[in-house]
Amino acid sequence: MKRTWATIAAGAGLILAPTWNTTAADRRTSEQTAFFEKHIRPALSLYCYDCHSEETGKTRGGLLLDTRDGLLRGGDSGNALAGATYKDSLFWEAITWGDLEMPPKEKMPADVIRNFERWLQMGAPDPRVREKVVVDSKLDIEKGRKHWAFQPIAGPAGETIDSLVAAGLQAAAIAPVGPADAATLLRRINYDLIGLPPYPKEVSAFLAAWKRDPKQAIGAKVDELFARTQYGERWGRHWLDVARYAESAGKDVNVTFPHIWRYRDYVFDSFNADKPYDEFIREQIAGDLLKVRSEAEWQENLIATGFLAMGTKSLNESNPRQHRMDVADEQIDAVSQAVLGLTVSCARCHDHKYDPVPTTDYYALAGIFLSTDTYFGTVASAQNKRASRLIELPIADRMDARKRMSQAEIDQMKEQRQQLQTARRNARNSDGGSQQMMAVIRRRIAEIDSKLAALGEDGIPATMAMGVQDASRPMDAAVYVRGDVEKPAQTVERGFLQVLPGGGPTRIKAGESGRRELADWLTSKDNPLTARVMVNRIWLKLMGEGLVSSPNNWGTTGQKPSHPELLDLLAAQFMNDGWSVKKTIRRILLSDAYQRSSEMHEGNYDRDPDNRLLWRMSPRPLDAEALRDSILAIGGGIELRRPYGSMISEVGDNRIGRGLNQDRFPTDVRYRSVYLPILRDDLPDALGLFDFADPNASKPKRDPTNVPAQALYLMNNPAVLAEAAAMAKFLIRANPDRGSQIRSAFLRVYGREPDAADLRAANSFFAQYRPVEQAADSRPRGRFQRGPGQGQRPGQGPGQFRGPRGMAGMAGGRPGGMGAMGGVRPGANIPPATAPVIPQMSAEEQTLAVFCQGLMAGAEFRVLN
Amino acid sequence: MKTSLTRREALRYTTSGLGSIAFAAMATEQARAASAANPLARKPSHFAPRARRVIFLSMGGAPSHVDTFDYKPKLTADNGKPGKYGPNLLGSPWKFSQHGQGGLWISSLFPNVSRHADELCLLRGMHCDQPNHSQAAMQTHTGSFQFVRPSMGAWTLYGLGTENADLPGFCVLGDTRTAVNFGSAFLPAVYQGTKVGGGSGGGGRRRFGGGNQEVFPNIRNPLLDSKAQRTQLDLVQQLNRNKLARDRHQPQVEGVIQSFELAFRMQTTMPRLLDVSQETDATKKLYGIGEGDTDEFGQQCLMARRMVESGVRFIELTNGGWDHHRDLRESMVDSCGKIDKPIAGLLTDLKRRGLLKDTLVIWAGEFGRTPHAQGGDGRDHNNKGYTTWMAGGGVKGGFSHGSTDEHGYEAVSGRMHIHDWHATILHLLGLNHEKLTYRHAGRDFRLTDVHGAVATEILA
Repeated sequence: MKRTWATIAAGAGLILAPTWNTTAADRRTSEQTAFFEKHIRPALSLYCYDCHSEETGKTRGGLLLDTRDGLLRGGDSGNALAGATYKDSLFWEAITWGDLEMPPKEKMPADVIRNFERWLQMGAPDPRVREKVVVDSKLDIEKGRKHWAFQPIAGPAGETIDSLVAAGLQAAAIAPVGPADAATLLRRINYDLIGLPPYPKEVSAFLAAWKRDPKQAIGAKVDELFARTQYGERWGRHWLDVARYAESAGKDVNVTFPHIWRYRDYVFDSFNADKPYDEFIREQIAGDLLKVRSEAEWQENLIATGFLAMGTKSLNESNPRQHRMDVADEQIDAVSQAVLGLTVSCARCHDHKYDPVPTTDYYALAGIFLSTDTYFGTVASAQNKRASRLIELPIADRMDARKRMSQAEIDQMKEQRQQLQTARRNARNSDGGSQQMMAVIRRRIAEIDSKLAALGEDGIPATMAMGVQDASRPMDAAVYVRGDVEKPAQTVERGFLQVLPGGGPTRIKAGESGRRELADWLTSKDNPLTARVMVNRIWLKLMGEGLVSSPNNWGTTGQKPSHPELLDLLAAQFMNDGWSVKKTIRRILLSDAYQRSSEMHEGNYDRDPDNRLLWRMSPRPLDAEALRDSILAIGGGIELRRPYGSMISEVGDNRIGRGLNQDRFPTDVRYRSVYLPILRDDLPDALGLFDFADPNASKPKRDPTNVPAQALYLMNNPAVLAEAAAMAKFLIRANPDRGSQIRSAFLRVYGREPDAADLRAANSFFAQYRPVEQAADSRPRGRFQRGPGQGQRPGQGPGQFRGPRGMAGMAGGRPGGMGAMGGVRPGANIPPATAPVIPQMSAEEQTLAVFCQGLMAGAEFRVLN
Repeated sequence: MKTSLTRREALRYTTSGLGSIAFAAMATEQARAASAANPLARKPSHFAPRARRVIFLSMGGAPSHVDTFDYKPKLTADNGKPGKYGPNLLGSPWKFSQHGQGGLWISSLFPNVSRHADELCLLRGMHCDQPNHSQAAMQTHTGSFQFVRPSMGAWTLYGLGTENADLPGFCVLGDTRTAVNFGSAFLPAVYQGTKVGGGSGGGGRRRFGGGNQEVFPNIRNPLLDSKAQRTQLDLVQQLNRNKLARDRHQPQVEGVIQSFELAFRMQTTMPRLLDVSQETDATKKLYGIGEGDTDEFGQQCLMARRMVESGVRFIELTNGGWDHHRDLRESMVDSCGKIDKPIAGLLTDLKRRGLLKDTLVIWAGEFGRTPHAQGGDGRDHNNKGYTTWMAGGGVKGGFSHGSTDEHGYEAVSGRMHIHDWHATILHLLGLNHEKLTYRHAGRDFRLTDVHGAVATEILA
């Protein structure tokens, strides 16, 4: 079978030295040079440069043939001149139309090929050598070290959170407001720790305990909430914002990441276990390299490295070197922002414009990541040129047994593969096959191959994860001039940022990438940023704003801390406590600063409207997850057990677009919002409308908006109406009369008793509300209306989901139908896109439901005091 | 400034096919104008405005100026020679020619827009502070690349109010992911941009013209009629006012109150605004709707015209994918092809309806690109010199202001920083950028901070 440049196994981004030609090429005789100039250069120019030269700007197959470096580096398929003899080289294969056919339209004349052969026999002498460029830096690192954030952490002795906050307030002559009342505080703590409101029972129990001993009541409540698994989901989700967690690749070819949910669960478990933060970071950066005591630990560490693998990817990138560099760049960006609060990837093309990060430091780090192979999976297609493998985990997931394939099914798939290959051959030979059809066949074969490759002997798919492994030949990277991967300059030793302690070139264990050393360096107690950055993130979530209000930018264009000593106090204690997140949270929760009321004080507000000095607790909007979870919790009830996997793992490999998107997923699921499908550029409405973190890059804080679209969701979305209906039915069952129903509703929604003004508003509502007649089926007239006789959703055949890549889907609308090759589409398994249904309600129920929904729509529900 | 529509304005609305909405809007507007408490109520401008509303065509990723609107014959002549920073210069692969009576040089990438050359006011001396996308985009929108500040749409709405209080006064269409660029920061929440169309994540869903998909989610209540819903809303708002009374000053609660009122009214106005079924096929064709590549942006441009007619003050259309580090030759053709016809259609349609003269159309990316090549077939970021343009709304047509150096690296004459650009936009709207202030944290803030000079040269 013929190969083309693009279909030969990709991924050979590293430069492998050819064996038979390099030395010869370095020592050229003048005759050889003359031969090159006379016969080879003109032929290359005539037959090759059109598609493979800088001048024409085309690098088909990632290959440049207008420099010697380009020829040696090769393209997607690897070094063009590598091989035991020249006859084994890709270059020879291509020009003789062996496994490759170049130039593609017509073979070069025999005499030209003979000249090439002579030249190859000489050892491919090539005078087209550029002078080696050296990129050097003009940054003054010594001066850069003086920046405040790079100073050692000095926890001030004898101080506390409150003593330092008080000092700031005194200096500004501002008196703080008093403490919050018990109910407000309980609600605050509940949301901050587990993202859910306290139930009425919990409110009354807490109020009773508070009466006995407020301090003890708070302490006990904090411990109780720490012990709930919802804590890890709440705080793990904060980390997922920072880690740019998503279940699809984003960008142009937005394919799914069906295995990354394991990383999500790993994060939740880690927070629940209060895993020391330094260990947590080490696992995510170098988990595959760490010593383990058990397979379970190994499994966990491998999953942790999904952090590096799940970034956005440009999968339609045709140049493998560019792709590899882009992946490394994304990893540098994520690690440096998430862990260090620095934007190191700004130094890819030039020295950092503001921070003391020379471009050579960037490539010192890049060497580490370029020595790392990233396993992100996905299936190759005409658009997805850069699919990779996945990591097989040591312990099989029992649930994967559900997907066992029988021998008959396997045989059927193999048979199908056979048919597809035949079809491809025929199409190619007959010239009848369109590009599009060929692409579909190729992708189908790739899909089957990836399915079959994952199957064990028992027909059960192997348990896979996204993650990283060290490359087979780790090596230092060359600086790319202005970031241009075709313009390598000098090689720099792998190492860390010079401006920080322990920076510069580093000793790396032989044969390794250096990620282990990087992880150790990041989590060293001498690193002035790691602990500060993390305690600031914790502070931000609890207080509404960070001490440093630019949590991902601690460089010179970032913000100075409002309370530098407090920042250091927290960071020092954090490390002394063994990097315990829970202990840090606890310390903040028990401070007066946290427990203050959010009440208004005009004088203070005029002087410090942003509350930088912490004269009160800032009122904060509930985030999207807390809002949806709360509506479920106070409505028909929330499912607190963790669902297995994710909707995306059910869908498997697929592409997000018009065919497969959030509209195709059920929205009536009752589990917590953190388990909803998080797709890049396509978030679930319930989250996207309420300012969920854009997962395209590390996101340190949400940007709250306040727009009518949110009001419309709360007023009109069937999910909200359905929960209000469930709540009303419950209240009517549990309470004998309207008065107690109203009281109960306030307790349930706001965690407090109604006051006189509230009761007036309630009574006025009940006096005025006239129930409307509910149609027999008041299911929403939405995108997936299913009236009588409409049993299926658009684009969906009976019992089978047809994704955008489904063969059957293709057959319908396009010429040259593929129906003949159709059949079982592997792996497309999606739960039906069911939407919440508003139950039938009596007039009494409806009235109360509309009232309850009104309470949920009220600002008090969304703004946490 | 008048608080009601003039007869001529009213007539214009009635002939626009949106008459009923416009009249409803007028009635409510007049009622509302009496209430000074409404933050969206129409406010007098500082002086007579040249433009009453803005359509901002925001080109995310930063289009190349030297391949589009900044003609550089010397760059073509020096193609392949080293540029001022080392890498070789890349002459534009596209031909430039002169258009209109004003003889503006525009490249062949914009065959349709160039037919409107005599409406265009090219600003060829643009520059901004940052060569990074997110920061420069933020500065383009808010004046600041560093701090969260109100966007120019929010400032405009704050300064002028809106002509139709039943619709959001500041609408954003297209890729709306970067909320901070449409935000109101410390200005009241009611001034922030409302996303229309596009999925909640800005993805592939719910584009206009996507069959029967709901363009504006949750716009209808599946159960309640308007009266029942009003009773419910009265409850919500009473509870909100109670909270406001308890909390005293609470901008977030005030924001909730206003957004619910607007949301309630939008249930009537928004579906009518978005219903393009009355538009003729000829009009749709004008915008390139239903024609593959131009469909998406065409839908947005048509929607912008409908919003203009309905009295929306500031409309932003976002169009991404301009970050052409690689594959310039191919990608520029694609990117320009997607917007050329829709923009030309928009200009034609606005003009024939008499709307262009007081609607300011702005086309801008966050910066420009380098005259030298990157990787042979691409261009890098360049914030030191680039081109944006304006049309309609009181600017000189067929006019070019400012210039870059011979290759297009840096703005050398008629230099216009983002602050100057903002000052000029506000000026065209009848607002003095130094007087349009908002007191926050003990000082008066402006869109232009302490900078900005109006480019009086471009005023018609």
